[in-house]
Amino acid sequence: MSQPPAQDNDAFIDYGALRALVVDDSPGMRNALRLTLSNFGITKIQMVANAAEAIFQIKNRSYDFILCDFNLGVGRDGQQLLEELRHGNLIALETVFMMVTAESYYEKVVATAELAPDDYMIKPFSAELLCSRLTGILLRKRAFRDVYWHFQAQDLEASITACDALIHNKPKYAVDALRFKGELLVALGRFEEAEALYQQVVSMRAIPWARLGLARALHLQKKNEAAEEELRDVLERAPEMVAAYDLLSDVCLEKKDVAAAQEALEKGVAISAKTVRRQQKLGEVAYGNGDLDTARTAFDNVLEKGRHSIFVTPADFGNLCRVQLEQGDLEAVADTLKKNKSTLQANPEGQLVMAVTQSIAHTRTGNLSEAAKALDVVAGLRADGTRGDAQLMLDLAGACMANGRHEEADAVVAEVARNAHDSEALLAKAKRLYDEAGRTDAGASVLASATGDVRKLNNEGVVLAQRGDYKTAVEKLLTACSEAPYNPRILMNAVWVILKYIDQVGMDETMIETARTQLREAERQAPGHPRLAGLRLQMKDVETRFGIQRKAVR
Amino acid sequence: MKFDGTDFYAALIHELKNNLGVLSMTLERIPLLGEAEHDASVDSARLLCQNVVDRLHQALLIYKAANQPIHPVLDAYSPHDLVQEIAAGAKALAHGRLHVETSIAGDTPILWFFDRDLVEMALLNAIHNALTHARSTIRIEAEMEAGCLALRVRDDSPGYPEHILESVADGRPYAATGTGLGLQFARLIARSHDNRGRLGELRLGNDSGAVFSLLLP
Ligand SMILES: Nc1ncnc2c1ncn2[C@@H]1O[C@H](COP(=O)(O)OP(=O)(O)O)[C@@H](O)[C@H]1O
Repeated sequence: MSQPPAQDNDAFIDYGALRALVVDDSPGMRNALRLTLSNFGITKIQMVANAAEAIFQIKNRSYDFILCDFNLGVGRDGQQLLEELRHGNLIALETVFMMVTAESYYEKVVATAELAPDDYMIKPFSAELLCSRLTGILLRKRAFRDVYWHFQAQDLEASITACDALIHNKPKYAVDALRFKGELLVALGRFEEAEALYQQVVSMRAIPWARLGLARALHLQKKNEAAEEELRDVLERAPEMVAAYDLLSDVCLEKKDVAAAQEALEKGVAISAKTVRRQQKLGEVAYGNGDLDTARTAFDNVLEKGRHSIFVTPADFGNLCRVQLEQGDLEAVADTLKKNKSTLQANPEGQLVMAVTQSIAHTRTGNLSEAAKALDVVAGLRADGTRGDAQLMLDLAGACMANGRHEEADAVVAEVARNAHDSEALLAKAKRLYDEAGRTDAGASVLASATGDVRKLNNEGVVLAQRGDYKTAVEKLLTACSEAPYNPRILMNAVWVILKYIDQVGMDETMIETARTQLREAERQAPGHPRLAGLRLQMKDVETRFGIQRKAVR
Repeated sequence: MKFDGTDFYAALIHELKNNLGVLSMTLERIPLLGEAEHDASVDSARLLCQNVVDRLHQALLIYKAANQPIHPVLDAYSPHDLVQEIAAGAKALAHGRLHVETSIAGDTPILWFFDRDLVEMALLNAIHNALTHARSTIRIEAEMEAGCLALRVRDDSPGYPEHILESVADGRPYAATGTGLGLQFARLIARSHDNRGRLGELRLGNDSGAVFSLLLP
C-alpha cells in the first residue's frame, strides 16, 4: 500500500508560500485584512467580496488559508459558504478556514454548530492574535497529516491508527485526535466503540461536543432514552447548542414523539434560523403533525433564507405550495409560483413542481380545462424521465384522480409504492387518496401488486443469499432494482448481495460498477441511513482485496 | 418599508466594528519615528483604540449576560499557547514602553478545559489595567494552584487600592476611575467555569505590584 508523505516535524511555517483567500464584503476591511496578513509574511492573497466569488476561486485553485467574514451582506453568509465548501468537498482537511465574526453571539452558535470552522476571530482583532491562532492551527494540521491522508484515501482504519498514534505520542493534540477518531468510528458504524470513546472524554470533562457525540452514539444504537436524557442535560447547560436540538429531534422522531421533535426543532430555529436544513426539517415535522401554520413559516423561511443555498431543491417549493393549498390559500400559491417562476422553469424537476401545483390549484377553482393542460405538461415531463419526491408524486396522483385520469393516477401511485414499499406513512397517504376518491378496492389492488412484486423479489433474493446462492440472488435483486430504481432498501440489498457474490467467485468489474452506482443512489435516497456506512466499508474492503490480487497477477 | 429594530441594531454593530477594525489596523501601520512626542501620541492612540475594542466586546457580552447567565463553551486548550498569545498582544500594545515577560511553571498541564474567548477577555482587561498602572514590567504566568489552573497577570504598579481588594473578594460593586466593570466581569467569567461543582475564582492581591489571578477548575 502507498504511504503518506514523510512527516515534516519542523515547527517552522513558511508564510511566504501560503496561499490565502480573504472573503469580506467591505472593501476597507478587505484591504485592512490584506495588510494584516502581509504583516506576518503572507503575500499570496486573493480577495473576494462574496460567497459566489469565493467558490469560483476555490474551484479554480486550492488555498491553504481562507479568512472569511461571517456577515457577507446580501447572499450567502460565511457559515453557508463553509457548509457548501465542506458538503461539496471543495476544500481539503488541510485547508484552514477561519471565520471572522462581529458578535460573540454568533461565535457561540458557530462554535457549537455541526460544521464548525477551524477557528473564529472576534472582530476587530490584532495581527498578532491572528498570526498566533493561525500558526497554532497550521501546526495542528501538520500533526494530523497522516490522519487526514488516510482519511482522504478513504482508508478509515489507517486513519484511526494514526489518531491513536497522536493520542499516545502527542498529548497536546490528544483531545483533538479523540474527537476525530470518534467521528471515524461513527462513520464506520462502530457505535459502541464511539460511545466508549466519548464517555472517556466526558469523564475527563463534560465538554459539549463530547456529550453531543455520546448522545449521537447512543441514538445510533437505538438507546434513545439515554440519548434524550444526555441531550436535555446538555441543553440545560449550553442552551445555544443548536446541533443538540437537531439530534434531539431525531431521537424524538425515532421514539415517535412527534410533538417533542417539533418543539426541539423550533427551539433550534429560534437560535439559528438561517440553517436551511433545520427549517426544512421543521417544516416536514410540523406538516406531519398537522401544524400547517408552523410548517408554512418554516417552508417560507427555507426559500427566504436559502435563496442562495445549494441545499434548496424544487421539492422545497412543492412543500410550501402543498401547505398553502391545504390552507386553501390559492392566492399565496399563485404568488409563490409567480415569484419563483424563473427558478422553477430552469430545470425539469422545477417544471414538474410547477405543473403539479397548477393542476391542483386549477382543480380547486373548477377550471378543469386548465387543470387538464397542466396534467398534460406533467405527463410529458414524466415521459422524459422526470420525477419528483414521493409527496409531490402522491399530490399528482390526487390531481389525476380528481380529473378522472385514473390510469395515470394508478401508474403514479404504483411507482411511488414500488420505491417505498416499506414506508408506512407514504403507503397510508396513498391509501387515503383512494378512499377519498371512493376507489378503496382499486387502491388496495394497485398498492398490493406494486409492493407485492418488489417485496417478493426482494425476499427471494435475500433468502437465496442466506442459502449461499449469490448468483441467483443477484439476478432477483437486480430485477427488483429495475422495478424500483429508487427504493433504498432494495438498492442496499442489491449492493450487499453483489459484494457477497464477488467475495465468492472473484472480481467482476461490471458487477462492482453496478454496485457502486446503486450505493450512490441509495445514499441519495436515504442519506445517513445506518446501513450505508457498513456497505461502504464492505465495498472498500472488496475493492482493496481484489485490487491487490489483480496487481499481483499482472 | 417596515423598520426592523433588531436588524438595524445588528447592522449598526457590524458597521461600527468594521470601522473600528479598520481604524485599529490603520493605527498599527503608522510607523514610530523615534521622536518622543510623535511616538507617544501614536502609542496612546493605539492603546485607546484597543481599549475601545475590548470594551465593546465586553459590553456586548455583559449586555447578553444581563438577561441570562454566561454559558462558557468549554474545550481543551493549551495554557502554554494562551500565555504566549496574551503576551504577544501585550507586547504589541506596550510597544517597547514596558517589558512583557512570561513564565510557565513546570506543573502547567499540556491541555486544560476552559472557554478560551471568555478567559482571554478577562486576561486582556487585566493587561489593559497593567499597561495603565505598571512602572516597567508586566508578567504573564501560568501554574497549578490547588488543583486549578492559575493564570496571572503581575505588574510593578503600586498595587490595587484596598477597597477594590475587599469589594472583589466579597463580590460587591466598587467605585473605580473607569467603568469599574472589568474586574467584576473577570469575576463573573471565572465563576462561570464549573467543574463538578467547583467554581472558578478571581483572586486579586498585591505583591510587588498588582497580582491578578484567574483560577480555573
Ligand atoms: N494593575 C493595576 N494596578 C493598580 N490598580 C489597578 C490595576 N488594575 C485595576 N486597578 C484599579 O482597579 C479599578 C477597577 O478596575 P476595572 O474593574 O478594570 O475597571 P476600570 O479599569 O474601568 O476602572 C481601577 O479603576 C483601578 O483603580
